[in-house]
Amino acid sequence: MNAWEDLLGAALVGTGRRPFRLGDLAVEGADQLEADTPEAALLAAAALAAGYRRAGWTPPTWRGTPPAPADPDDRPECTAAAAQILELLLTRGIRLEVGTEPLTVDWLTAARDTGRRPPHRLLPELLRFGTLDSASRPLVKEVIGPRGTWLAQHNPAWHWAKALRPEEVAERFTTGTRAERLALLADLRATDPARARALVEQTWSQEQAATRAAFLDTLHTGLCGDDEPLLEQALDDRAATVRAAAAALLDRLPGSARARRMAARARALSRPDGTFELPGEPDAAARRDGLTDHREPGLGRGASRLIRLLAATPLCTWDIGLVGTADRDVLLGWTKAALRQRNPDWLAALARHQPTPELVAALTPEAAAEVLSRQRKLDARFGALLAAAPGPWPPGFSAGIVERLRAGKADAVLRLAARALAEHLHPAALPALEAWLLAPAKDQKATARTLRGIAHALTIRSTILQEFE
Amino acid sequence: MLALAPDAGSARAARGLAGPRTWSDLGSTATLVWGKCQGSARAPYQVTVDLTEPAFRCTCPSRKVPCKHGLALLLMWAANDGSVADLDQAEPFAAAWAGRGATPTATRAAPDPEAQARRLAEREALMSAGIDDFELWLHDLVRQGLATARRQPPGFWDTAAARLVDAQLPGLADRVRAAGSEVLARPDWAPHLLGELGRWYLAVRAWRRRAELDEAALGDLRTVLGWPRRRDEIGDRVADRWQVVGLSRDEDERLLSQRTWLHGERTGETVVLLDFAAAGQALKVAHVLGSVVDGEIARYPGGQPRRALLTGDEHKVTQGAGLPHATDVRTALGQAARWLAGNPWLRRIPLALDAMTVVPGDPPLLVDRDGAALTLAPGTDIWQLLAASGGHPAAVFGEWIDERLHPLSVVVGDRLVAV
Repeated sequence: MNAWEDLLGAALVGTGRRPFRLGDLAVEGADQLEADTPEAALLAAAALAAGYRRAGWTPPTWRGTPPAPADPDDRPECTAAAAQILELLLTRGIRLEVGTEPLTVDWLTAARDTGRRPPHRLLPELLRFGTLDSASRPLVKEVIGPRGTWLAQHNPAWHWAKALRPEEVAERFTTGTRAERLALLADLRATDPARARALVEQTWSQEQAATRAAFLDTLHTGLCGDDEPLLEQALDDRAATVRAAAAALLDRLPGSARARRMAARARALSRPDGTFELPGEPDAAARRDGLTDHREPGLGRGASRLIRLLAATPLCTWDIGLVGTADRDVLLGWTKAALRQRNPDWLAALARHQPTPELVAALTPEAAAEVLSRQRKLDARFGALLAAAPGPWPPGFSAGIVERLRAGKADAVLRLAARALAEHLHPAALPALEAWLLAPAKDQKATARTLRGIAHALTIRSTILQEFE
Repeated sequence: MLALAPDAGSARAARGLAGPRTWSDLGSTATLVWGKCQGSARAPYQVTVDLTEPAFRCTCPSRKVPCKHGLALLLMWAANDGSVADLDQAEPFAAAWAGRGATPTATRAAPDPEAQARRLAEREALMSAGIDDFELWLHDLVRQGLATARRQPPGFWDTAAARLVDAQLPGLADRVRAAGSEVLARPDWAPHLLGELGRWYLAVRAWRRRAELDEAALGDLRTVLGWPRRRDEIGDRVADRWQVVGLSRDEDERLLSQRTWLHGERTGETVVLLDFAAAGQALKVAHVLGSVVDGEIARYPGGQPRRALLTGDEHKVTQGAGLPHATDVRTALGQAARWLAGNPWLRRIPLALDAMTVVPGDPPLLVDRDGAALTLAPGTDIWQLLAASGGHPAAVFGEWIDERLHPLSVVVGDRLVAV
């Protein structure tokens, strides 16, 4: 619109320097304007022309190709009440002493297990949650569905949630940064461990030592016997970090050839009464298998070697009945072995004999509940065990533990394990908690606050469970 | 206003107090204005003015009636710059005093029409003087040129705005203040400012000829000047099934405001409800997006889309389906042009757009089936739009302001979802 440009030019300069006459304005209706002065003329012209300009605005035409839309999601949407809880948890509309993350994880787990999806509108918040809390990313990726993975393509901060097409994987592994390649391997190990291992083997000889060690570490996920040849080969690596990484992984494979070699060495040291001779200096073969001069804190070289050897020996080599009579060093070695080999029988036997937070944390919730129920004293040690116990806790145990803490006036334990109680108590414990809340001693405001926080978390979790029934 | 002051000292003191800093809980209904003023005592003074008489009450120890607090409150209310919220119900302390006396009917005596006419004439005289002054300022501005105006410090615009407030033209004052910051912020500041100058000048000319204006045009003029809208001037009522199609909220340090866009199923008319609350106070509970209120509204005088109030007590609320009145971009903008022809001062234009595809990018766009593209306003949460639509065409409702779309809701399935 030329008339507008002319008018704008005149306005910029000012009527003081360039007088403006209405006759100059080539706009319909200009002849009906009246103005006594050049200033009034310019203002009147602006009023008229701006009206035309604004009302006559036309949108530009876009000629690009819009991005392909998201694939449909066949899962039914969760209930409106469930969606509202998730929204409050994600936007911190609910305040919880223990934080909203554990309950968000509960929500996501319940949704995944029942095959229901969150409403689309909450996907951006869910992706933000996964971006901040990387431990829950695998769960978030399962729950967000095709709409969520599609959305993640459009935001670089959410690329962790992108669905990679198989043909993209190899290319990303070749061209990505070290961090991207590691993230890619970690993801791939969860879904296709063999493919991930093949990628590692493909470039193995050209990688730097630090990268080789880091690649091996990603094999923790989905580790199985098929990984053995690569690990066995890595025991001969020229870099000590790579050898150590390989040995640490082989410790977790009780069926491997290295485990059999370890078993032979350990058996040679075992006496008929269930005790062990201390091993001497390792030979070259033992060193190759990872028996180094590493010292356990506070222990001598011989004891440290024995512990290291037992920790790498398959537990089926021994009689589980010996747990009750074994000495401290042997128990330490077996404990490490049980944790690495994730052997439930041995974990339970060891925990029953001498529970530690580490052992309890490795048990199933039921086994942990059983171990905790046998403990007599409600002391700080008990608090640490309770805090480590995995959930969800069985209903009977949950109600029972609340009653026990209350009867034993174990306020210190309550506070030590508050987070675990809030995270793992079964909703069946709610009546017991409420009864305790109704009758707290007068001088125990802190206890009452902790109890309220736990009860609050429990109520929300029980609502989540109901909404996903 | 200050003619009500018992002496010059009170008037001076009142002017000093007439800022929101020392005040809280400011509000007004059609007949009452109230607020709490922090004075030297521990508890703030409770100040109430009954506009019908006018009568003053203040809990301060001064024996002057009205005291400086009452006068200051009245000044702030008259400025109508949003610091005194327009509410449905009085604060309990104000309502209790207004209901004073044994015979409520006696205290509710009709206001003296003569006094009212006199006050109106005084106010109009003050506004006319302010308009004359503003016109001279506009003349100076275009004589020196916009390029010179751009080099002015921010105080240049604020001073002009303050004079407009003094002349009880707070609506114009807001626009002048806003233009001052736009001039520094926008790359297209020059055409934007020239457009604004034209609209301001139009208000000046319209004010002079207000006697010739019809009711709608006068209503729009009052809005742009910022002349307080009282409840008793609300005009025609219309019953319909009103669907809540968009909710938007603004907040600044002093004021929360909420716009509720309604669309009438039968009349096809779009209206807006406005609610205000002082910062820190709660807004009236919003209507549920997508619900349909079956009932009567009363519309303020003005061009479309009109401001309205829900009237009556009983409203049946049901669930609506999507945006049945959504159109393509060109049709919606055609409608906008017709509205602008009726009210050139219109700033927020409601658009109901059908089958819009979200195109992420910088800036992100909404594109209709013909490729007509609207730019999304800065600050729009593009992820909400993308998540809701999944890249499929979806109907969107939003406010169109200065050639940028501020989306408020999007249709998912047949439900409206806020973005």
